[in-house]
Amino acid sequence: MSDPFIEINQLSKDFDVSPPALERWIERSPRRILHAVDKVSFHITRGETFALVGESGSGKSTIGRMAVGLLSPTNGDVKLDHQSLFRSDAAHTQAMRRRIQMIFQDPYASLNPRWRTGSIIAEPLRVFNPRQPKPEQIEAIARLLEKVGLSPVDALKFPHEFSGGQRQRIAIARALAANPDFIVCDEPTSALDVSVQAQILNLMRDLQEQFGLTYLLISHNLAVVRHMARRIGVIYLGRLVEVADASQLFNNPRHPYTRMLLAAVPDIQKIGAGRTTRMEGEVPNPINPPSGCHFHPRCPLASTRCTQEAPELIDGVACHAVARPA
Amino acid sequence: MLQAVPAPPLLDVKDLTVQIDTRRGPLLAIDHISFHIARGEILGIVGESGAGKSLTGAAIINLLTPPIRRIQGEISLQGARIDGLSIQAMRELRGKKIGMIFQDPLTSLDPLATIAQQLIETLRAHLPLSPSAARARAIGLLREVGIPAPEQRIDAYPHAFSGGMRQRVVIALALAAEPELIIADEPTTALDVSVQAQIIELLKALCAQRGASIMLITHDMGVIAETADRVAVMYAGRIVEIGPVAQIIQSPRHPYTQGLMGAIPSLGADRTRLTQISGAMPRLTALPEGCAFAPRCTKAMALCQTQRPSLTPHEQGAAACFLLEGATV
Ligand SMILES: Nc1ncnc2c1ncn2[C@@H]1O[C@H](COP(=O)(O)OP(=O)(O)OP(=O)(O)O)[C@@H](O)[C@H]1O
Ligand SMILES: Nc1ncnc2c1ncn2[C@@H]1O[C@H](COP(=O)(O)OP(=O)(O)OP(=O)(O)O)[C@@H](O)[C@H]1O
Ligand code: SF4
Ligand SMILES: [Mg+2]
Ligand SMILES: [Mg+2]
Repeated sequence: MSDPFIEINQLSKDFDVSPPALERWIERSPRRILHAVDKVSFHITRGETFALVGESGSGKSTIGRMAVGLLSPTNGDVKLDHQSLFRSDAAHTQAMRRRIQMIFQDPYASLNPRWRTGSIIAEPLRVFNPRQPKPEQIEAIARLLEKVGLSPVDALKFPHEFSGGQRQRIAIARALAANPDFIVCDEPTSALDVSVQAQILNLMRDLQEQFGLTYLLISHNLAVVRHMARRIGVIYLGRLVEVADASQLFNNPRHPYTRMLLAAVPDIQKIGAGRTTRMEGEVPNPINPPSGCHFHPRCPLASTRCTQEAPELIDGVACHAVARPA
Repeated sequence: MLQAVPAPPLLDVKDLTVQIDTRRGPLLAIDHISFHIARGEILGIVGESGAGKSLTGAAIINLLTPPIRRIQGEISLQGARIDGLSIQAMRELRGKKIGMIFQDPLTSLDPLATIAQQLIETLRAHLPLSPSAARARAIGLLREVGIPAPEQRIDAYPHAFSGGMRQRVVIALALAAEPELIIADEPTTALDVSVQAQIIELLKALCAQRGASIMLITHDMGVIAETADRVAVMYAGRIVEIGPVAQIIQSPRHPYTQGLMGAIPSLGADRTRLTQISGAMPRLTALPEGCAFAPRCTKAMALCQTQRPSLTPHEQGAAACFLLEGATV
């Protein structure tokens, strides 16, 4: 039960965002390093949905891209079924890739515009099952299209002939075609209207039950996250600040940032009204983040210790002020 | 009221009809829709994926490309027709008087040019600014849309920005020339709640201070509730309901709008199944003869299978459903 299927261990990613060398030399400015992901660790049990939430630019997609092996970490490791994704032998990587799929944040950029929908979905089918006879393959494509609420005749169309939401469904159908164990879903429904969103979320859960799929769900929509995830990790400027069971996080958020995040959710009950609670303070600069706890300039509980010392993640929360069970 | 004679609405759309030509014949993607947007008003457009929301936006600014074309309809901006403008005149209007935020942030940015180059070029195309003034203004715009330390990030290429940051650059581009009308197609979908709140406040301030008007296409009813004055609900190429935001959310009249409200996941509930409207919207190739929603409607009557309801006004707004015309089973 508690055997971790996906292990994210001390994962870090730095990007060099320095100006060009010559300019840097003329202006005598130092290199600029952006710590997009900073020593993040969590695990996901088989068949479970783990969600990552956090502000735009906090590093969620970067973690997602490392979790599928598309981007190599500066430090740390990702393990699937106790095997590292970042070993140097190609055959191993190839085998692992097949078990992991990603649904990207941008459904436009992720579909090849020159391929018909049918070929887009068939690509992983061919990799996964190269000797499948053509008629069976066509039938499999039709079934996948129907699963995501499209029609078999759509296999003949090109991506530009679909609306935004329809294209995202093609991306989901393609991810499912590989018959993966683990899917990283980066904002899978943010391009969809609510009624299609409901269908896709229900579908994702049905498939999870049917095939024991494990999901890493990245979303800024807290209602979606609450609906889907068993456990949730909250990211702030590249660091994990809280990890908790979904119901606990929503009923009893502990980290000051999590509390602020929950209070800022738009609500259809608040017609015409401004938000009662707004996020205080400016979003800090990730290239030169605040010292100590990155959240201290916006935190109502901050003390001098918070400006000097980064809090460790202990018992699911990284904050100096939050009371811990003795 | 300052004037005795009512000014024309900022945007007036009458009988807009858009067709897609295919080998198997024409498809009606937008079917005689009419609406207006007043000065300083935010009109929300919601509806099923594929209902024609983005095509409506594209039709207004004349950005349809074959095989899609407008076959009927009048579009007026501040009382003057804009549907017959030359390509050149339309290009000037776009950007200057009408700002457009497209649904796909990545494709609206040039991957080979830095954020600075793209913003400065747009600013200087519409406003008389020196290169250094344009750069300062570009940095200011990025700050307004919530990019931290914009002076350090502005020279980056789009791939170095996160999804939400790219979306905000697109918003900054659309606002650059201070347009009168902003057509925003899903402007906040990739944004978390805090940045979303900031963008919404920015858009509302533009309406309140400069009298700009916004056509806000989104499927996020939370955003609609907080920003829109009125809402139009689209289904299969038609407007099925339109009215003030409070009426649409609290007492929707059309069965589709009612279903839409039930499908919203709420923060209050744990992992339960969402109500979903069963079935899917009909394809353009197989539009039913009667009401397009009839195959999925729990209240459909015999009449609904054969005849199309038209938009019928009530005290607050209008809805296209036979139930509201007093028909009974
Ligand atoms: N290739 C890159 N080069 C330089 N910086 C990058 C690169 N990719 C990402 N970044 C930076 O890393 C940070 C985290 O980006 P990431 O895409 O992971 O954010 P995110 O949490 O997914 O945000 P969003 O919700 O907006 O999608 C951002 O500041 C971004 O600008
Ligand atoms: N180039 C095209 N060729 C053929 N059909 C098209 C084309 N572009 C759009 N369509 C069709 O027109 C209809 C309306 O598309 P539109 O993009 O306006 O939908 P939308 O309401 O914006 O949906 P979404 O919420 O998913 O973005 C859809 O059924 C779509 O498949
Ligand atoms: S560590 Fe200090 S600054 Fe950081 S969240 Fe806790 S109280 Fe606030
Ligand atoms: Mg992202
Ligand atoms: Mg659209």
